[in-house]
Amino acid sequence: MISWPPLLVLFVLTPLVGAVLTPAVSDATGRRSWEWAIGTMLLTSAMAGALIMRVLDEGPFSYVVGGWVAPYGIELHFDEFSASVAVVCLLGLLAVVFSRHYAPAALAPERIPYYYTLLLLNITGMIGFIVTGDLFNLYVFMEILSLSAYALVAISGEKTAEMAAFKYLVMGAVSSLSILFGVGLLYALTGSLNMADVTMRLAGSAKAPLVVAFAALTLGLMVKSALFPLHIWLPDAHAIAPSPVSAILSGLVVKVGILGMLRMYQIAYGSGAIDLSGLNLMLTWLGAISIVMGAFFAVFQDDIKMMLAYSTISNIGYIVMGLGLASSYSLIGATVHVFNHALIKATLFLGAGALIHQTGQRTLSGLAGVGRSMPFTTAAISIGAISIVGIPPTAGFLCKWYIALGALQAGQPLFAVALVFGALLIFVYYIRMVNAFYFRKPQDAGASAVHEAPATMLVPVLVLATLCLVMGVLGSLPLSFIEPAVARLLAPLGGG
Amino acid sequence: MEIVDARVALAPAISLLCGALVFAAADHTFWRRFWSLSAALAKLGIVMSMLPGSLRGVVYTFDLVEFTPGVGLAFRADSLGMFFSVVSSTLWLFTTVYAIGYMEREPNRRRFFGFFALCVSTTVGVAFAENLLTMFLFYETLTICTYPLVIHDETPEAMRAGRTYLAYTLTGGAFVLLGSIWTYQLAGTMTLSQPGILPLEAGRTTLTLLFVCLIAGFGVKAAIMPLHGWLPTAMVAPTPVSALLHAVAVVKVGAFGVLRTIYNVFGVGLLRELGVCDWLAALAATTIIAASVIAIFQDNFKRRLAFSTVSQLSYIVLGAALLSPLAATAAIVHIANQAFAKITMFFVAGSIQRTTGKTTIHELAGIGYRMPYTMGAFTVAALSFIGIPLFAGFVTKWYLSLGALESDRWIYALVMLGSALLNAAYWLPIIYTAFFKAPREEVPVQEAHWTMLGPTLACAAYVLLLGMTVSVPGMPFAMAQAAVTFVFGM
Repeated sequence: MISWPPLLVLFVLTPLVGAVLTPAVSDATGRRSWEWAIGTMLLTSAMAGALIMRVLDEGPFSYVVGGWVAPYGIELHFDEFSASVAVVCLLGLLAVVFSRHYAPAALAPERIPYYYTLLLLNITGMIGFIVTGDLFNLYVFMEILSLSAYALVAISGEKTAEMAAFKYLVMGAVSSLSILFGVGLLYALTGSLNMADVTMRLAGSAKAPLVVAFAALTLGLMVKSALFPLHIWLPDAHAIAPSPVSAILSGLVVKVGILGMLRMYQIAYGSGAIDLSGLNLMLTWLGAISIVMGAFFAVFQDDIKMMLAYSTISNIGYIVMGLGLASSYSLIGATVHVFNHALIKATLFLGAGALIHQTGQRTLSGLAGVGRSMPFTTAAISIGAISIVGIPPTAGFLCKWYIALGALQAGQPLFAVALVFGALLIFVYYIRMVNAFYFRKPQDAGASAVHEAPATMLVPVLVLATLCLVMGVLGSLPLSFIEPAVARLLAPLGGG
Repeated sequence: MEIVDARVALAPAISLLCGALVFAAADHTFWRRFWSLSAALAKLGIVMSMLPGSLRGVVYTFDLVEFTPGVGLAFRADSLGMFFSVVSSTLWLFTTVYAIGYMEREPNRRRFFGFFALCVSTTVGVAFAENLLTMFLFYETLTICTYPLVIHDETPEAMRAGRTYLAYTLTGGAFVLLGSIWTYQLAGTMTLSQPGILPLEAGRTTLTLLFVCLIAGFGVKAAIMPLHGWLPTAMVAPTPVSALLHAVAVVKVGAFGVLRTIYNVFGVGLLRELGVCDWLAALAATTIIAASVIAIFQDNFKRRLAFSTVSQLSYIVLGAALLSPLAATAAIVHIANQAFAKITMFFVAGSIQRTTGKTTIHELAGIGYRMPYTMGAFTVAALSFIGIPLFAGFVTKWYLSLGALESDRWIYALVMLGSALLNAAYWLPIIYTAFFKAPREEVPVQEAHWTMLGPTLACAAYVLLLGMTVSVPGMPFAMAQAAVTFVFGM
C-alpha cells in the first residue's frame, strides 16, 4: 500500500474532488458540508501519512502521470521538502474543525458550503504546488491557491473585506503573470517544463534571458511571500479574512512564495547555469528590512489580527534572510521555520479568532482582562507568542538559532544582530498583547461575562499550542528531514 | 568528580511548581502561604543537601533536553553556582516570610506570590545553568517574571517604571543571546563547565567585540554605569520586590553573568592576553564612586538604597575584572555580603514605611526610639557597608584591596578606601537622624509585625555571622575559595 504508485495522484485529487462536491452534499445549515470537509481532510491526511512513511523508507520518488515521460508528460515528485504536506494537512484539518461554530457566526448560511469548497481548493492548490515536478503545473496550482485565497478573503461580503481582497487580487495577479513569464522563458530556453529536466538542459544556455527569467520568477514570488517592499497587500487581507482563513493564509499561503524560491534555487544551483550571489545579497537585505519594518509597524497596532499580520511579514523576513545567506545553517533554519512558523501563526490566528468570536472585540483595549474569562485560549496564545519570539524550548527557537548561526557562518555578523534585535522588537508587541490579556482591567462588565470558546475552537488551538512546545523539544525531528535535502541543494556549490 | 543528580533540576522546578500551586490556590490565603513557605523550605533543603557533596568537590549535573547536538538545556552545580544558589534560597525564605507580613492587605496577592516564586525558580536556574543558552533562558524569564512585580501597584508611575525596566533588561537580554550564538559559533560549544572555552585564534577584534556584547548584556542587570537607569526607577515596586530585585535575584543574576563570562566563557588566561578587563575595571571603579556620590544627595530612603546598590554591585564586577585570585574571592563572596546587608536595609525601609508611613530620610528623626530593633538591624548593615571589621563588608574590602595590590593596581585599593568614606557619608547621617535627633513628640515603642521584624533581625545576624566566620569550613567563604581554585587552575 505504502509504495502503491498512483497514491500520489489520488493525494492531489482527493481534496479537489471533495471541494467540488461540497455544495452538492450540503444542507440548509451548512452542517453537512462541514462533516464532508472533515471527512475529505481526514482522508487526505491519511494519504499524506502513507506518503511520508514511504519517503522515509525509500528517499525521494516520482510518479509519471499516464506513463508520459519528460519533456512531454506531467510528473509528480515527492521528496523531503514535500514532507511539509503533513503541516498543510494538519492545519487544513484544524482550520475546518475550527470553522464548525465560527463559519455560521461570521458568514451568511448560503455562503457556508462555498466557504468549505474554497478552503478545500486552497488546500488542493497547496498540496499540488508542493508535490508537482512540473513548472507549468506549479503555476496552475499556484493559481488555484491564489484565486481561492482572494475569494476567501472576500467571503464575508463586507465592504472592507472586498477592498482587501481586491488589493490582494491586483497584486497577486501581477505577480502570477510575472511568474508565468519566467516559466515561459525557461520553457523557451530548454524546451521542457519538467523541473529535473530543465535543470539538466539549462547548463550552457544564453545568459541574458536566463537572468530575466529568474528576475521575473523572483519578483512574482516576492509578492506572493509579501517581502518588503511588496508586502502592502498582506496586512489588510490577513487581518480581515475569517480567522481560520487567516491561519491558512499566514501559515501556508505566503509560504508558497518561499517554497517556490526553494524550487528556483534547486534549479539554479543544480544546473550551475546562473550565479545567484547578487540575488542572495538583495534577499538578505530585504529580509532584514522586512523583519524590522514588520515588527516596527506591529508595535503600533491596536487590532490583534493586524498585529499578527505584521508579525507574518517579520517572519517571512527571517525565512528570506536565511535563504539569502545561503549557508547550510541558515538554509536549514529557514526551511524549518517555514513549517514551524505555520504551526505558530496558526495557533495565534485561531486563538485570536476564538477571542473575537467569544467577545466580539478585536482590539487590545477591548480584549483587556480576557485572560480571566478565557484562560485556556489566552494561555495557548501566550505559548504561541513565546514561540514566535523564539524563546527556548519552543518551536520558534531552533530556526532563529540556526539562521543566526548561518549569518555568522557566512561571515555577516551584522545580520545576526538584525535578527536578534528584530526578535526583541517582536517581543515588545507580544508583551503588549499578553499584558492586555492578563494585567489590564476589563473595560466594561461585558468583557468579563464571556465564556471559554466551544470545544471545536478550543481543541484545535490547544493542539497547535502543544505542538509549538513539542516541536521545540523535538527540534531535531524536522532537522532529520531537512538536513539531507539542504545538503543535496548545496552540493553543487561545493558544500556551502 | 561529576555525578548525574536530578536534584540540580529539582531545585528550580520546585519553585516553578510552587508558582503554579499559588496560582491554583486562587484566593485561599492559607494555602497560598502554605505553598509559598513549604516551597521555600523544600528548596533550601534541596540546595543544602547538595552542599556537603559540593564542599567535598563533587559536581552535580543533569541534562534536561537537547534540541540538537550541543544545543540544549542542562544544569550543573559547581562551587560558584552552589554559592549563588545557597545565598538566593536562604534569602528567599526570609523574603517570603517578610512578604507575607508586608503584603497583608495589598490587592492581587495571588499574582504577587505566584510570580515571586517563579522569580526564585529562575534565579536558581541561572545559578545552575550548565551552558549559556540555559542561562539566557532563565535570565530572560526572570525579566518577564519580575515585570508583574514591578508594576504591582498599577499606578501610572509604576507602569512607566515597568516599561523602563523592560526596555533596559530586554535589550540586555538580546545582547546576551547574540553573545551566546557568537560564542557557540566560535567555540563550537556553550558550556560553562570549563575555565574558558574561547580560543585566541578567533582574533582579537572579534573576541573584544564578543566580550563587550556579553558584558553589556549582563551589565544591564548588574547596573554598571551607564546601564543602571532602570534600577532607581524600579523603586516604585513594593518593598519585598525591591529587596528581591536589589539583593537576591535580578542584580545578582547580572553580576553572576559577568562572573561566568569572565571565568568560564573567556577564562582568565585569555582575558589577560586581551587586556579588555582593564577597561571593565576602570568602568566599575567609576561606577562605585559616582553612584556613591549620587546616593549622598538622595532624600528618598529607597532611592538612596538603590544608588548604594549600583555602587556595591560594581565591587563584584571590579573584583572579577582584576583577574587576581584574591580579588576574585572578594567578588564572589561579595554576592553574599551585599545581599544580606542590602536586604536588611530594604526590610528596614519597608517596615518603617508600613508602620509609620515615612519614606524620606529627613522624616526619620527619632525613629530609633520608636523602632529600636529595626534601626539596630539597619546599623549593623550600614557598618558592614562602610567596611568595619567583624562585619561582612570588611571581608570584601580587605580581599579586594589585597587583590588590587596583588595585580599591581594600587589605585583600586584607593577606590576601596574612598568608597568606604562615601559609604560612611551617606549611611551615618541616617543613623544619626534616627538615634540622636529627638523625635518631635513622645512616641511609644512600636515595632513592625514579627513576620517583618523576624527576617530583618535574622538577616542582620547573618551579616555579623558572615563577617566573623571567614575561616570556618563550610561557610560561604570556603565555597568562594573553591570556585576561585577552579577558575584560576590552582
